Amino acid sequence: MYRLRGIRMRYGTRTVLAIDDLSIAAGRLYTLAGPNGAGKSTLLAILAFLSPPTEGEVYYAGARVDWARGSVRDRRLKVTLLHQSPYLFGGTVRANVAFGLKARGIAGDAQRRSVARALEAVGLGEFGDRKARELSGGEAQRVAMARALALEPEVLLLDEPLANIDRETAALLESVIASLPARGTTVVMTTHDPDHPARLNGASIVLEGGRVVRPSP
Amino acid sequence: MEFLVASFASALRLIASLAPDLVDAVGTSLSVSAGATVFATVFGIPLGLVVGLCDFPLKRAAVTILNSLIAVPTVVVGLLVYGFLSRQGPLGSLGLLFTPSAIVIGGTLLASPIVANYAMASARGADPRILPTAVTLGAGPLRAAGALVAEIRFGILAAVIAGFGRVVSEVGVAMMLGGNIRGYTRTMTTAIALETSKGEFAFGMALGIVLMLVALGVNVFLSVLQRK
Repeated sequence: MYRLRGIRMRYGTRTVLAIDDLSIAAGRLYTLAGPNGAGKSTLLAILAFLSPPTEGEVYYAGARVDWARGSVRDRRLKVTLLHQSPYLFGGTVRANVAFGLKARGIAGDAQRRSVARALEAVGLGEFGDRKARELSGGEAQRVAMARALALEPEVLLLDEPLANIDRETAALLESVIASLPARGTTVVMTTHDPDHPARLNGASIVLEGGRVVRPSP
Repeated sequence: MEFLVASFASALRLIASLAPDLVDAVGTSLSVSAGATVFATVFGIPLGLVVGLCDFPLKRAAVTILNSLIAVPTVVVGLLVYGFLSRQGPLGSLGLLFTPSAIVIGGTLLASPIVANYAMASARGADPRILPTAVTLGAGPLRAAGALVAEIRFGILAAVIAGFGRVVSEVGVAMMLGGNIRGYTRTMTTAIALETSKGEFAFGMALGIVLMLVALGVNVFLSVLQRK
């Protein structure tokens, strides 16, 4: 799905990411581990096509990524990044989950079906009319996950999605995440939990000081 | 004190009787202020959002200029626009001087920096996750900007209302560019200045009460919207 070659990301004189060669296969789940400041979020931002690397080449689905604005936006429609503390827009849960669908021109029944399916997947089928700002932290995290799932992205990038939530919600989201590769979705998820690769049946990428110290198998 | 009480009572009677001069001045004030606010919103909101959100060379200078423009005296704006619209000015052939349109132009210049500053402050104070969230969900620049505006809508509304408040309450621009022509360009503020100088204090007070009510009404409207 991805191949990264000679990637360098620098802020001023500081190099925060230095990846010589990294491949991420389609339809697999990867956990991305490493200490704080290892470059995990920076790598996710590159994989999400949000920030171009200072140097290097990114290939997506076999094609070299052109970071020009119009071209990269088409790529962004295939990849969704879920932040650690996701932002929910004002309004209802349904409107939040529908946001990305609207951006893709999906409206009417197709939109309603996708929203309902995504909310069901995270156990919030009855929450469509609730105000997003009145949800608990765990519920908000599930809505954000539903918002990402509704888009049925080719790649789902998750930045510590299971941090700061209760055990029950974490277990539910874990099972949702673990089921995604079987549906063809590539998942890259940052985590500090060393058990996640085994529990989610995923491959492990470990970053330290911006370098890959344990490559994907 | 007796003078004030008597004037206040007369003012209330004038308002209750809907005195034609009073109604004219209120109508003119509201229409030119609304026009200027619309234009100031069209210019000021995008300007404020761009300066607030985008990084560009000389951004700090742009912010300083925008802040400073709030403090420009109304008579200076009036003088500047007068220079352009007067018969000898570059836009003199349009014949706009001493028309409501001239007050709208001046009001737009007065209100735009206020609207832009409020919008800029709202954008800078917005949750920094709004735009990245919209972008990661596939929004293009326009949809992402729309999402941001929707999230800071109360700040934007406050910007519009502050702009309206600036225009409806100023006297310099309306006097210099409108000429205070009865039934045509006489606004509440220019009428208050004129009538008070003529010794018609009660009439001035009546207009002052209406002006206060307009300001109060606008603020109540904002509060109601915020509660929704």
